[in-house]
Amino acid sequence: MIEALWNNLDYAASVVLFLIGLYAVIAKNNLVKKFMGLNIMETAVFAFIVALGVVEGGDAPIHGPDAHPPFTNPLPQALILTGIVVAVSTTALALSLIIRIHRQCGTIEADELREME
Amino acid sequence: MSQLFDITLIALLIACAVAVIRTKDLLAAAIIFSAYSLVMCLIWQHRGAPDVAMTEAAVGAGVTTVLFIVTIARTVRRER
Amino acid sequence: MKRALVAALLIVAAIPLLSIVAELPPHAAPDSPAYTHVSAHYLEHGAEEAGAENIVTDVILNYRGFDTNGEVTVIFTALAAVLAILLLPSEERVEERPAPAMPVSMVVRFVVRLLAPFIALFAVYVIMNGHVTPGGGFQGGTILGALVIALTIVLGEDEAHRLLPRPARPWLQAAAPLTFVVIGIAGIAVVGSYLGFPAEEPWQWVRTAWLVILEIGIGVGGGAIIGTLFWTMEAER
Repeated sequence: MIEALWNNLDYAASVVLFLIGLYAVIAKNNLVKKFMGLNIMETAVFAFIVALGVVEGGDAPIHGPDAHPPFTNPLPQALILTGIVVAVSTTALALSLIIRIHRQCGTIEADELREME
Repeated sequence: MSQLFDITLIALLIACAVAVIRTKDLLAAAIIFSAYSLVMCLIWQHRGAPDVAMTEAAVGAGVTTVLFIVTIARTVRRER
Repeated sequence: MKRALVAALLIVAAIPLLSIVAELPPHAAPDSPAYTHVSAHYLEHGAEEAGAENIVTDVILNYRGFDTNGEVTVIFTALAAVLAILLLPSEERVEERPAPAMPVSMVVRFVVRLLAPFIALFAVYVIMNGHVTPGGGFQGGTILGALVIALTIVLGEDEAHRLLPRPARPWLQAAAPLTFVVIGIAGIAVVGSYLGFPAEEPWQWVRTAWLVILEIGIGVGGGAIIGTLFWTMEAER
């Protein structure tokens, strides 16, 4: 299994990054830190899907006078392009909620917020 | 040689992710997150995905970091 | 206790993920299932069928145009939600903080003013060349938004607000969904389906022109939305 993971190093790295982000989302107390963890999880998933489209010796999928096959798979790249932009809009929404929580409650630590109820 | 480059970048990526999680100073964590996005962008450029790399450099390393910094400026800087 | 629980949960998540990843077809194999079906068709015929040499642009704006139409609506909705959350007056104030006013150094101000037209030029280049080189509406729009942010920091809010004149602002922010609706209706008129692109041979330039119009709409809308997001979150105190 270790050898298979070593051959699929990109996939294994994105799993590790996903777990690091998951750890931050679960274990960290600060809301901003939680969202940094969520962003790391998102980029890990993006890296995994982009890695699915990589081809041995593949070039960027742009036709032109001096471009020659093989090209990398354009479909995962297009999906991830939309994914990144949606990710930044969710981040903006979450951060504005955090600002609002701080204005209302004076803290952004999850356990202090829980005690406040 | 290319393999060595890959492994270096992936190691740097994981180191950046761990540093983001472990840093207590949120402003520093935001800057390290920007560096993380840039390393990710290098990896994607190297994998033949320049469109995604460009988006990640502009959105991940640029705008997301700015939004994090604005939030930190409006709330608290240190994690308890 | 809590640490042990978190560690257990991470291990429980890690084992299935890693074992599945180890079972996947080898990385970068040319005969992997992801590469051999629809993508092969896109790579072979994309440039003629869809109108752009950059296949990623073809997939985003032509083959999967509905997807992108929904996605620009998502950004616009996110902006609306942020404005709703932050512009609502709060009933109580827990803590009053002094406004941090840091003067911007003269060197920074001069350099940003000097670079601003070049950054704008680069953004326009990235948007207009999205169909032949890497880049496109999202990337160029983000660069425009970053320019707005830099100018806001350097010139102050009042000067920067002139970049998006108030009467035009809602239209600029909604530029991306509106462009999609316009091109979609043009598709209904010409081909008979929403966001349809004319497929016949002499219409090659129309396909490319529509792609460029969509890119411009996305770029303008993205830049306006990112600038407004920054203004809203920054003005909050």
